[in-house]
Amino acid sequence: MELSITGANAITYPVMHVWDWRVAVYLFLGGMSGGLMSMSAINYIRSKKGPVDSACSWQIPVMAPIILAIGLFFLNLDLSRPFHAFWFYLAFKPVSPMSWGAWLVLAIFPLMILYALSALPNAVKAKIKHAGLRGFADKMQPHLLKLAKANFLAGILLAIYTGILLSSLVARPLWNSAILPILFLCSGMSAGAAVMIMVAKTKETKLFFTKVDIWLIIAELTILLLFFYGHYTGDAAHRQAIMPFFSTSHDFFPYFLSIVIIGVALPLAIVLKFLEVTGEHTDELTASGLMLMNASAVLVLIGSAIIRFAMVYAGQLSGYGGYM
Amino acid sequence: MAFSRRNFLKYAAMSAGGAAIVDTPFFSARARAEAEGGTARYVPTSCEMCFWKCGVIAKVQKNKDGVDEVVKLEGNPLHPQSLGKLCARGQAGIGQLYDPDRLKRPMIRTGERGDGKYKEVSWEEALSYTAENLKKIIEKHGPHSIAMFSHGSPGDYFTNLLSALGSGNISFPSFSQCKGIRDATWELTFGHKPATSCERVDMRNSRVIVLFGTHLGENMHNSQNQEFSQAVGNGAKIICVDPRYSTAASKASMWLPIKPGTDTALLLTWINILISEDLYDKAYIEQYATGFDQLKEAVKEYTPEWCAKETDLPEANIVEAARELGRYAPSVMIHPGRHVSWYGNDTQRVRAMAIINALLGSWGRKGGLYLPPKGKFPSYNDGAPEYPIPDEDPVIKGNYPFAGGEGLTQVVRDVTITSDPYPIKAWIIAGTDLLKALPAPARTREAISKLDFMIAVDIMPAETVMMADVILPECTYLERHDGLFKIETRESGVSLRQPAIEPMYDTKPAWWIASELCKKMGLDDYAVKDSWEERMKRQAKAWNVSWETLADKGYVSIPDSAAPYITPENQPVFKTPSGKIELYSSKLEEKHFDPIPKYEPTEQPGEGMYRLVYGRSPVHTFSRTINTPFLWELMKENELWLNKKEADRLGVKHGQRVRLENQDKVVSAPMLVKATERIRRDCVYMVHGFGHNSPRLSKAHHSGVDDQELITHYKVDPICGGTGMRVNFVKIIKEA
Amino acid sequence: MPRYVMVIDQSRCIGCMACVAACKRENNVPMEHFRTRVVEMVRGEFPQLRTEMRSELCNHCDHAPCVSICPTGASHKQKDGTVQINRKKCVGCKACIAACPYDVRYIHPEHGWADKCSFCQHRLKEGKEPACVATCIGRSRMFGDLDDPNSEVSHLLRENSWRVLKPEVGTQPHVYYINQFPRKS
Ligand SMILES: Nc1nc2c(c(=O)[nH]1)N[C@H]1C(S)=C(S)[C@@H](COP(=O)(O)OP(=O)(O)OC[C@H]3O[C@@H](n4cnc5c(=O)[nH]c(N)nc54)[C@H](O)[C@@H]3O)O[C@H]1N2
Ligand SMILES: Nc1nc2c(c(=O)[nH]1)N[C@H]1C(S)=C(S)[C@@H](COP(=O)(O)OP(=O)(O)OC[C@H]3O[C@@H](n4cnc5c(=O)[nH]c(N)nc54)[C@H](O)[C@@H]3O)O[C@H]1N2
Ligand code: SF4
Ligand code: SF4
Ligand code: SF4
Ligand code: SF4
Ligand code: SF4
Ligand SMILES: [Mo]
Repeated sequence: MELSITGANAITYPVMHVWDWRVAVYLFLGGMSGGLMSMSAINYIRSKKGPVDSACSWQIPVMAPIILAIGLFFLNLDLSRPFHAFWFYLAFKPVSPMSWGAWLVLAIFPLMILYALSALPNAVKAKIKHAGLRGFADKMQPHLLKLAKANFLAGILLAIYTGILLSSLVARPLWNSAILPILFLCSGMSAGAAVMIMVAKTKETKLFFTKVDIWLIIAELTILLLFFYGHYTGDAAHRQAIMPFFSTSHDFFPYFLSIVIIGVALPLAIVLKFLEVTGEHTDELTASGLMLMNASAVLVLIGSAIIRFAMVYAGQLSGYGGYM
Repeated sequence: MAFSRRNFLKYAAMSAGGAAIVDTPFFSARARAEAEGGTARYVPTSCEMCFWKCGVIAKVQKNKDGVDEVVKLEGNPLHPQSLGKLCARGQAGIGQLYDPDRLKRPMIRTGERGDGKYKEVSWEEALSYTAENLKKIIEKHGPHSIAMFSHGSPGDYFTNLLSALGSGNISFPSFSQCKGIRDATWELTFGHKPATSCERVDMRNSRVIVLFGTHLGENMHNSQNQEFSQAVGNGAKIICVDPRYSTAASKASMWLPIKPGTDTALLLTWINILISEDLYDKAYIEQYATGFDQLKEAVKEYTPEWCAKETDLPEANIVEAARELGRYAPSVMIHPGRHVSWYGNDTQRVRAMAIINALLGSWGRKGGLYLPPKGKFPSYNDGAPEYPIPDEDPVIKGNYPFAGGEGLTQVVRDVTITSDPYPIKAWIIAGTDLLKALPAPARTREAISKLDFMIAVDIMPAETVMMADVILPECTYLERHDGLFKIETRESGVSLRQPAIEPMYDTKPAWWIASELCKKMGLDDYAVKDSWEERMKRQAKAWNVSWETLADKGYVSIPDSAAPYITPENQPVFKTPSGKIELYSSKLEEKHFDPIPKYEPTEQPGEGMYRLVYGRSPVHTFSRTINTPFLWELMKENELWLNKKEADRLGVKHGQRVRLENQDKVVSAPMLVKATERIRRDCVYMVHGFGHNSPRLSKAHHSGVDDQELITHYKVDPICGGTGMRVNFVKIIKEA
Repeated sequence: MPRYVMVIDQSRCIGCMACVAACKRENNVPMEHFRTRVVEMVRGEFPQLRTEMRSELCNHCDHAPCVSICPTGASHKQKDGTVQINRKKCVGCKACIAACPYDVRYIHPEHGWADKCSFCQHRLKEGKEPACVATCIGRSRMFGDLDDPNSEVSHLLRENSWRVLKPEVGTQPHVYYINQFPRKS
């Protein structure tokens, strides 16, 4: 067919490019901070006695809102009218996942901060200059467990929401799948676990999250397969939508590559983790053991970031019908 | 049933033939402004984005600085050539007005001719300088050594100047590069042109419309296209004869991708079929035509079988098309076309087209060609004296006995080069881009180099303009008076041009420029007495048209002027020597040309070469709008249409850039390839007008390729002197 | 309340782009941005070719994904059936652009708000047809009130088989297409 169009807009033709790396970074960091919330909460909850690993039990809760803030900063960079952002909070649109997201973030932020404050060890608190804040942190400490539980749930919401936003876009078949939020949830959680592994001080914590991450990665890979399968067996537009990932043609090579990298990085991370979990263990971490752990964690983060980038970009190539 | 007022209004709107929402019925500019509360002013005027001169209503509002600004242009519903609509170019006229690249002040050349160095001067200085130079040349070589080229409205004013000076060397590319042959040929056949400005085609009532070239849809003349669409909607059968699958072909029931240059074979064969199968209108021919028997005899040799070979068309289609014409006659037409200077033997092709229309009885019949309207306008010269009789005959007709009154541009150019029979030393160019309009631009450059003095009256710094010694910038059509215009469609009418806003910059209307030059040349009697507006008022009075109504409505129709079809009371008049339709032309015979068209083959491209053909884009007018911001954005460059299989054979990809090299080794700039099924294998096609060389046209400069640079060769029609321009062959150079 | 719809007779579109130019001037659409476009599709092999022409614009969908995604309510559906953008409320998140299956939106390069065809609502208020309809050379675009059984558009949709673009997305457009191809008589 010979097609000519007069009057197409560059933002949507020949392919849509509405969102770029800024949004992908936001989705990655948002998912990761959700993962961090949940994982650090698990870390606390699993031991009624108190934080199993003092380092990651307070550093992670502090990191989570910061990472989310950085993510939101990138999101804001993407708005073409950032100074009108207050309109997000002058409306609540029940069917708009974007609106939900904005309110969710607004609700989650205080929760994260309270949790971070309550988790601060005394030594750290002592360093806080502001007396009121210090006192407030002291007051929060007894609520730590409740806050941890709340954060666990909120983390899941946050991680899953990043996928819901994209999946609600019926116009973009790649995104328009109920599996996508689960995929993003899983990859956010596993990124969270990976960060836990890197930050944790004690070997026990590291090993625990290594095991957790193994299951998360297995789940993630399974979900990814289901995601592609679902599209492949879906309507023509859905089938077409995943093609970039399986084509080595020049135009689509980055997507093909992304799948290859994910396909290598995540399994490799699992293998490394297995090696670590099943290896001989002394109480102390050996240098090589540490390296294995960190290397696998980095692989997980790479995989998780690539999933977001690849989905954000490839989703914009997909659409219904085109010109037929 | 209760009949509410609301319903009543709806029914009223319905019975007026439209939806409940209609464009504000336009009764007058004043009424509309009042109805809208006076926030905007409406000015009815005429478009000059092309030469169809549609009725426009300009909406003018004050901008935030309190300055009048034209914010929207709309078609005048009262004007028969726009019928309430404007084409893309008409809509984008504001872009021409506010184009930052416009000529802004008079300029005098300071550098070498063509190097673009000018100084800005006052009008007084520019006009005095111009007059001085003209006087010098007249003293030395006589007034006939001054020639004028024009296209569009400035032409009239400079024609007046030249005539007053005593030079008849006035020519327009709209004759020998365009429709001259058509008009002259139909005059030979019917004693009338098939058009004044509008082709008199009754397409909205047609059953079969045949288009030879005539790429309606791309050739965007407003009301004509509206009617074409209407015909398509009515289910008229469109037969499109074009080597390219044009927009019109895409609407056609039959596309005949003819071998370029063989159209006359098809036409003569159709004549043969119509006669031999008794499909022609016998009564009509008996009553109104002469020369039938000679025609019948002459076309016998043109058999469908032969035609199929010659034209590369399926024999069955050739026959079927002729039978369709016969079946639906006389509500059928062979559209007379407009740009007909194709192959240098065009008079006979156009004659054959006219003759078929006669055989089918379509002249003066519903669905064919309607008759010229009644209502004559007395010529009006505002009390100016008779023009002096030139002491030398003009060269403008050359040796072409049937060249019309508009003059042969290429002959003036040739004489400028050769000084034979006398020198031509000064050119006035008003509203034509000669380097783009005339074939063999190298010859145009050569002629310009021989000139002592060259004057350009234009609105844009196009390459031709930037060769002039003095540039006199006209204001755009939205800033000036022009007219009155006689409008001949099914009825007669009058329209005008009047300014929507004051001229921007230091620009002036052409009437003023020409009039001031008259004064400077000591020809005060021929100058405009007061202002053009006052003159228009006097003319309106002489024509018995109310000026107030005209200025308020933009168009006034002449009552009872429409008489489109032949009836017992309304008999056609044929202004031929015999007073009949001349199937056999006595005038041609007199001058030793074939009185009945004969087929004469055209040269075909050699190995590895393609014939270069060209046409229009609906969003551009020749070269004049390429720089217009709102049109440039719709089409920035032209593409080379190349048959897909040929592209594959050459290893050329769609979207790649290639150069073209013509038979004379002229090589084009690189251009985009459109590899397409929509064209024959033996020709390539591009839209004319692109590839501007003037760096002052910031948008158009070097975008696309100029077909004219590749048209180094042209073949002159021996009868009417039109320049056949589709006789160039190119090969494709891949490296670019 | 009227229910505004556009009916596009594809067979009568001659690809002249008058609509595109008129829309741009009427609505001051920024350079290189468009609220409406003209699509030409040619299929087949020389000399057996077939063309579909159609103009496209915002469909003013009944189930408008651009409206449901919009976080601020800037994009909204009005009672007259049109989908409009309240520029003040727009944050420029571009979700609506991604959400629109018809790719008819853009971001205003200067102001940053999302923009698209408004069915020329400012003209409708004055009782005028949209600019693109008023100037459509082929009379391919027709506009009117579907709630009025006597309107031209009601007639057209009753008498013709029609379709909408991408029905599978379920947006329920207010722009209807008739006569996909010219009649070959
Ligand atoms: N938008 C727009 N419209 C215009 C103009 C403009 O500049 N812009 N200019 C106006 C003017 S002044 C004129 S004169 C007209 C010109 O417009 P037309 O009178 O329609 O010009 P043609 O040369 O008849 O048509 C060009 C077509 O002829 C085809 N063709 C080429 N060679 C042959 C051949 O050998 N045989 C046949 N049968 N067809 C062939 C080409 O493929 C192309 O489709 O357009 C007018 N309308
Ligand atoms: N190769 C090739 N040659 C052709 C054609 C082709 O298709 N191919 N077409 C032929 C045909 S059909 C024709 S009619 C001729 C047309 O040839 P031209 O009449 O030369 O064509 P235009 O582009 O209209 O010339 C316009 C010039 O007028 C200027 N102009 C525009 N508006 C105004 C105004 O209001 N006032 C003044 N003073 N100047 C103005 C423009 O800036 C430009 O310089 O070309 C012919 N030559
Ligand atoms: S056809 Fe278009 S450009 Fe020509 S006069 Fe009419 S509106 Fe203007
Ligand atoms: S066409 Fe697109 S922008 Fe228009 S209403 Fe439908 S979804 Fe929204
Ligand atoms: S860009 Fe504006 S209109 Fe579009 S969804 Fe965001 S806020 Fe709503
Ligand atoms: S209705 Fe108005 S805004 Fe929409 S495409 Fe037509 S002219 Fe443009
Ligand atoms: S104005 Fe009408 S005929 Fe021309 S391109 Fe637009 S829809 Fe088609
Ligand atoms: Mo022409």
